[in-house]
Amino acid sequence: MSTTSPIPPDLPPGEEPRPPRRRIRRPTRPVLRMASFTVAVLLLLGVLVARLWFLQVIGGGDYQERAEANRLRTIITEAPRGAITDRNGAPLVTSREVLNLVAEPSQLTGPEGAGALRRLSVALGHPPGYFAAKVKKSGESRPFEAVVLEEDTTPELQAYVEERRAQLPGISLQAAYVRDYPEGTTAAHVLGYTGPSPAENAEEYGGRGYLGNETVGRAGMEAEYEEYLRGIAGREQVEVDARGEVVGRGILSQTPPRPGQTLRLSIDLKVQKALEAALRDEVRGSGTSTGAAGVAIDPKTGAVLALASYPTFDPDVFQSGSPREVRRVLTSPARPLLDRAIGGEYPAASTFKAITATAAIESGLYTPGEIIESPGSVVLYKTRFKGFNETDHGKIGVSEALEVSSDTFFYEIGDRSYRVRGWPLQDWSRKFGLGRPTGLDTVEGESAGLVPDLAYKRRTCDRAVDPINCSWRPGDSINMSIGQGNVLVTPIQMAVAYAAIANGGTVVTPTLGRAVVDADGRVLRDLLSARAKRPLGISEQSLQLVRTGLRRAANGNGGTATPVFGALPEQFRVEGKTGTAENSSGVDHAWYVGYAPADDPKILVAVVVERGGQGANSAAPVVCRAIGAYVGFSADKCGTGAKVN
Amino acid sequence: MATFPGEVGGGSARARTQSALAGLDWWLLGSAIAVSGFGVYVVRIATDGDIPSDPGYFFTRQVAYTLIGLVALFFTLRLDLERLSRYVWTLYAMLIAAVGIVLVLGSSARGSTRWIELGPLRLQPSELGKVVIAFVLAVIVVERIRSMDSARLSLFVAGIAAVPAGIVFLQPDLGTSLVYAAITVAILWVAGQPITHFIVAGAVVVTLAALVLYILPAAGVNVLKPYQVDRLTAFVDSGADRSETGYQLEQSKVAIGSGGAFGKGPSGATQTINDFLPEHHTDFIFAVVAEMFGFLGAGLLIALYFVIIWRCLVIMRQAHTELERLVAAGLTAMLAFEVFVNIGMNVGIMPITGIPLPFMSYGGSHTLTNLVAVGVLLRIGRRGRELGPRTR
Repeated sequence: MSTTSPIPPDLPPGEEPRPPRRRIRRPTRPVLRMASFTVAVLLLLGVLVARLWFLQVIGGGDYQERAEANRLRTIITEAPRGAITDRNGAPLVTSREVLNLVAEPSQLTGPEGAGALRRLSVALGHPPGYFAAKVKKSGESRPFEAVVLEEDTTPELQAYVEERRAQLPGISLQAAYVRDYPEGTTAAHVLGYTGPSPAENAEEYGGRGYLGNETVGRAGMEAEYEEYLRGIAGREQVEVDARGEVVGRGILSQTPPRPGQTLRLSIDLKVQKALEAALRDEVRGSGTSTGAAGVAIDPKTGAVLALASYPTFDPDVFQSGSPREVRRVLTSPARPLLDRAIGGEYPAASTFKAITATAAIESGLYTPGEIIESPGSVVLYKTRFKGFNETDHGKIGVSEALEVSSDTFFYEIGDRSYRVRGWPLQDWSRKFGLGRPTGLDTVEGESAGLVPDLAYKRRTCDRAVDPINCSWRPGDSINMSIGQGNVLVTPIQMAVAYAAIANGGTVVTPTLGRAVVDADGRVLRDLLSARAKRPLGISEQSLQLVRTGLRRAANGNGGTATPVFGALPEQFRVEGKTGTAENSSGVDHAWYVGYAPADDPKILVAVVVERGGQGANSAAPVVCRAIGAYVGFSADKCGTGAKVN
Repeated sequence: MATFPGEVGGGSARARTQSALAGLDWWLLGSAIAVSGFGVYVVRIATDGDIPSDPGYFFTRQVAYTLIGLVALFFTLRLDLERLSRYVWTLYAMLIAAVGIVLVLGSSARGSTRWIELGPLRLQPSELGKVVIAFVLAVIVVERIRSMDSARLSLFVAGIAAVPAGIVFLQPDLGTSLVYAAITVAILWVAGQPITHFIVAGAVVVTLAALVLYILPAAGVNVLKPYQVDRLTAFVDSGADRSETGYQLEQSKVAIGSGGAFGKGPSGATQTINDFLPEHHTDFIFAVVAEMFGFLGAGLLIALYFVIIWRCLVIMRQAHTELERLVAAGLTAMLAFEVFVNIGMNVGIMPITGIPLPFMSYGGSHTLTNLVAVGVLLRIGRRGRELGPRTR
């Protein structure tokens, strides 16, 4: 090719060369131009190869994951939570299948997605931005996860969504399960409630294989036995195409959903209902009462037959209630969420006298057969200690003292306990299980109560104002002997303590769960028999004296609760003790703890009625109704309390 | 094609074929046929499930297009450019008329009008126009390079190219009009126009691009359709782009990247066969190759393109006449530009301009065009080798 001549006469042959009008400059040699062309092509192809290397060899793994994420979709099939039944299999909580309105954020992008959410919000009577805000909020804590817009949809809403499937991309109805309460609010405190797993424990739940937004037990049995009740969602991994449709290879892996197991409680539904009704009637009828609670247990095993607290709540509120309804339950001054049966602390009052009597006999403060003068009031340490109504009971033994609930008899015992070395009242209180939680199988809510001692006095006294109160004084022992002073107990503690008397000296651990059973009712796991039992170390003689006292208190001529229990036939004979607890509110708390049948106790009930007045009037009839429901006599066999204390 | 004047006639068909095939650049022809064959195969496996009632729909058509293209290629081998140059203005007028008719009457598809319907055939005149414009511009330059002031010549050539390119742009087919521009630049460059012209032109293009893409839309004047602006700017940050175009580019990168070093094979290429990768038989067919056959396969394909372009450059250097050299320059630029821009947009370093990948992408008009271009180049190459570069 020509590189030398600046003007190659490159003209077609046969044509006359025209004289150029101007000299044309040929500044660049074609070889250079062609070479630069080649270099440019090589460079550009090199760039492509470098880019490919970067994408495929260096970034390959990352893009492979994204391609997998494109093609794989995990379909979650919720599994129903296990049911909770009473001891006879009567359902207390079940799972019901519902359809939830669910939004898939990844398919709700752009103006189309926003439009779908807006239309849906308006159609369901919400403000236009309602669902969009919900999706956004969920995306902040759990990005990429499906958002439940509305739970337990109505058939009308389902029809609305089905008819507009094409206009509502990323919106679908998905099967889910909700808790159903066939008995309404019955046993609400026992059952507890469910809710979404708390965000602050997300990691812990994640470690146990929960999905981000799964429903978990949040209180009561639902929480305590979560590991058995939870259903494990099924997962199905499928391959999809760009339209989200399952393609070719279809299901790649599959784990079927595993429904939760059934929890059988030791609760007896008819006792539970009777106890709840009696408590409710008592509180509503009293005019002064702010609440009441009761526990019924099998004194031999500790199996809880009923556990009730009033006022109560509807566990369904935590599942389907509006935020306002939930807030109302949480902040109500009546404190309906407080389980008074295990978390309410009350002065034990005269019900404590059985423990004082046991301590006195066992530690030698009182010799069986001894008669003690029990006037209307006594002066000890220059202080007058009055008995209830200042009634003079004359010279009586310990069983009569329990029958008539003599205060001055026990003041004498209290004074004796002060004078000896050691702490017999405190020691025996603790042996009976007071001063610490009983170990009931519930996640939380059980109070320890209080067994006052020197350490307690030192801890709580005000050294500057009242230094003498920082020591244990005779009055402390005297007050404690009748369950006043600083003694605080919960109904379930009193039930456990009296169960030890009723069953011949064994402290049991109260238990709500009885067994985990499968769909056919076969027991998979026994929750009751492995529970701890502890011998009290009480002599047969003491036991007989105390039980005699309790029998006479419920049936004897001078018995404080004889008007309630005295008329019961022999096979339903009740033994028990009233209590009337003075407190700062002005109206006494009423107590009764009793068990039946006396010869072979099968049920023991402890009841407290806040500001209910006298134990015989207020609490004893409740106990009577609960016992009747279990052993089989009707409520009209119970008398009404007329006598005092 | 045999009706063009001046063709040597006579002899048996077999002898004609032998003489037609003698002295060809077998590297170029072999590579072009190899890539075309591979393209047909990839179209087959990429579109397997696209039309359930007819899994071979795209495959059979692409086979037909390729065969038609090869026939055209062999006719082109007999095309005498020097004699054809007498009809340059006729050809130019036909080109303008064809693309103009498409603009005015053509059938509409996906928002752009690119085709003429001829019975069952749909022809895209702007495709074959690429070869025509390369020839027209080369003739004009050769005729005037010594008689015309260089600046005037550059402007004249640019003006001649701008008319069909502008019509194609209005169809709207931005990608093809850019190919016209690349052909024009390459011809002027190899013709030896002063380097200042290219610098000025570059500055003008950058200014115009800024105006069209960013400044005028901000002022409320839209020269390009919004989807075109999206396409042109999506490659800057495809992740942030939620539009259709950003999605395409993102899926293309995922397809290519997930192919890794050795690919996922035809049955494991889920980006392609599950339709996450759109346009997987046309504009994004390179991503299919990269997903199925990995860096190895995609690299080999690029190597084949390198062989094709290298042979084109050799042919250009050895061209017997200046006219042939410039035609070769235009066609080489066409192929190189299309390969680079198409693969570049697949891998996310070039804007999405709707340029098909030569010899690979599904489509009749551009398959025909590319094979015709190869035919023209083969003839130039044979003449260059037989006669040697003219040294006068």
